[in-house]
Amino acid sequence: MLSRIADSLFWIGRYMERADNTARILDVNYHMLLEQPPNTYKLRWDPLIAVTGERSRFYKTYQEASAQTAFDFLGFCEENPNSIAQCIVNARENARTIRDRISRELWEDINSLYHRVTRMRDDDESLSRFCDAVKRGGHRFHGVCDATLARDEGWHFVEAGCVLERAEMTARILDVHYHQLLEGILNESRSHLWMAVLKSVAAYEFYKRQYGQIEPTKVAELLLLDARHPRSVRFNLSALQSSLHAISGSVPGTYANEAERLTGKVHERLTYDSIEEIFDGGLHNFLTDLQETCRNIGEQVTRAYFHYAVVA
Amino acid sequence: MSSAASIHPSDQLLFTGYDPGSFYDELIAPSGQPRACAAGMYEQLATMPLEVFEERRKLADLSYLVQGITFTVYNDGRGTERLFPFDLVPRIIPRSEWDVIERGLAQRVMALNLYLQDVYGPQRILKDRIIPRNLVFSCKHFRREMVGINVPREIYIHVSGIDLVRDSRTGQYLVLEDNARSPSGISYVLENRLVMRRTFPRAFEVSEVMPVDHYPSELSRILRSLSPRTGERPVIVLLTPGLYNSAYFEHSFLAQEMGIELVEGRDLVVVDDVVYMKTIHGLTRVDVIYRRVDDDFLDPLAFRAGSLVGVPGLINAYRAGNIALANAIGTGVADDKAIYAYVPAFIKYYLGEDPILQNVDTYLCSNPSDLCYVLDHLPELVVKAVGESGGYGMLMGPSSDKRTIEDFRERLVADPRNYIAQPVIPLSRVPSFDPAIGGMSPRHVDLRPYCLYDGEKVTIVPGGLTRVALQRGSLVVNSSQGGGSKDTWVLRGEE
Repeated sequence: MLSRIADSLFWIGRYMERADNTARILDVNYHMLLEQPPNTYKLRWDPLIAVTGERSRFYKTYQEASAQTAFDFLGFCEENPNSIAQCIVNARENARTIRDRISRELWEDINSLYHRVTRMRDDDESLSRFCDAVKRGGHRFHGVCDATLARDEGWHFVEAGCVLERAEMTARILDVHYHQLLEGILNESRSHLWMAVLKSVAAYEFYKRQYGQIEPTKVAELLLLDARHPRSVRFNLSALQSSLHAISGSVPGTYANEAERLTGKVHERLTYDSIEEIFDGGLHNFLTDLQETCRNIGEQVTRAYFHYAVVA
Repeated sequence: MSSAASIHPSDQLLFTGYDPGSFYDELIAPSGQPRACAAGMYEQLATMPLEVFEERRKLADLSYLVQGITFTVYNDGRGTERLFPFDLVPRIIPRSEWDVIERGLAQRVMALNLYLQDVYGPQRILKDRIIPRNLVFSCKHFRREMVGINVPREIYIHVSGIDLVRDSRTGQYLVLEDNARSPSGISYVLENRLVMRRTFPRAFEVSEVMPVDHYPSELSRILRSLSPRTGERPVIVLLTPGLYNSAYFEHSFLAQEMGIELVEGRDLVVVDDVVYMKTIHGLTRVDVIYRRVDDDFLDPLAFRAGSLVGVPGLINAYRAGNIALANAIGTGVADDKAIYAYVPAFIKYYLGEDPILQNVDTYLCSNPSDLCYVLDHLPELVVKAVGESGGYGMLMGPSSDKRTIEDFRERLVADPRNYIAQPVIPLSRVPSFDPAIGGMSPRHVDLRPYCLYDGEKVTIVPGGLTRVALQRGSLVVNSSQGGGSKDTWVLRGEE
């Protein structure tokens, strides 16, 4: 497989996942705030911008973080490379470039999503209908990949892109909200916030069944260490390890490149560390490391497969 | 009055009031009755309520949009994607006519290939003074570097698209121009057919339409035969300038249909005169490149420095015989619009045959007497720049204002070698849907069949791309100038 094609497949996975996660965060936050006193408004929308890592860009364009400005910035803004619409534009651009290498169904699905989302911008669609369309788009994407792509290296690059992005996003969501709690800003509605976080990653029902009462450590435990929930960091890094091994042909317990070594190492920690040990060392530090590792893994995948030096 | 109106006097139907007018109509005879080849299709359409037709039209458009079958137009600095308008009424060619076209095209492609072998080889035709030496060497796309190079199996033009028009006055098909570099459009031929089969399945049941979908496998067979490495399964790639090229959809479509890798210049690297592609597991050797990148941009070391879409070192690999290119480099010396005037002479010279398909009368502005005539008759003529394609650099005399004509006059005087002129041909027409009147109107068409040459014989998928000037009265069919396309049917049965 051509390096450039693998690169595009990897980024289709990442962009689609990024669009999906951003829509989830936006949607859940919006609904949570409908029942909150208006004076906490700003406090709630600002962290949301921070989750996407685009805080400084946001305040260049907007004075204040509100439902409207956040929706505009995270939903459509062309200057924000990580807005939902831009992610879908980028995913489609990549898919269009390599459409001969993916199933017709997958290309048509991504292309239709692009047209749907573009229309919604022009039609001034409501936030929740928009987010809903994007989330459904995400589900369809996974469904179409699952049902129409051969399980070859290409599929593993899409998968690797998705799970790496999802792991990083989950870590980031946790980090930003945990930070807020630590600062005591939102003391009075703690459990609402955690419920919103759980809902944003579709883990609320699962949490209730597992743990019952909302407790921050338990929420963190589920989102970081759970082996079964498809949005936990551990689950995703485990999937990443499998895909990277499938691509290189490494047997379990070994690694063929730096990306695999880093993935194996962090996965090991998530498997054997307890949540108490993580809190003892400081959750924020742990999450910062985790996000840094995810970024590194992405770079190392690039170096191993997409942009390596050719010796003439 | 048309026959549809007489069958259904009360209803407004698609062909109500259709008037083929004074031009040759491909489907409707002057009497208003459908021609024999069009009877089956006409029967379907003439009785179809407008709403049903409109609905199918929308479905067809949607299918192009969802599949992303678009081309890119450049007007505001960033490319805009547009649908290539598709008209649902097919152009239908009876088998007996097609047989003549097919023989004529095969003859022409053979002659063009022999001419290229000669120009880049012994240059007999120049020595025998059949064509002026200056005219050949002054072609924008003549490649001195190719003289004396042996191309694989002596094939220069593997793929060509030859534009034909039917002259309404005589009913004869004429060759309007040759495209021997990298003609595009075949993907529309195949996709249009796909959409038509879905939209009007019943019309296919009553008319025996010859299939076109063997094109990719035929092309792929030819490409495989060019591989310089024998015994190995050849690695074939399609080289594209990339996503922002207006024909990118086609490149990707053909690569997929042939099951070959679609590559950009940055995917390829030349090491020791061997071409490789960069894969996730290292370098893989490449044997054949079906390139859709112009000569100028192929290799920044040999041609245009600074080309980002090319492959440094590719020409050396080509010279060393380690890679085959289709089409060969330098084929532009065959489809230059001034050289075109000599193609009938090539056919005589190389094949000893009379041309089956005639040229349009052509004035070479490089001839002083021709130039004189052209300057005196500009408002009646079509003037074309010799090295351009796609309807760019063209003057349509009869529909141009004085200023444009005077502007061209200056250009002609300044650089006569760069221009040819032809009389305006009254192109034949085909009924096409006109949303403004909610029914059919005649629109002018041309025809571009695609010819594949394997070194022995020429294969042409029956029909080709019918381009239609969708604006009333317009004679310009180029997509960049508001043209659309139609499915083209060659009927199996003898007439």
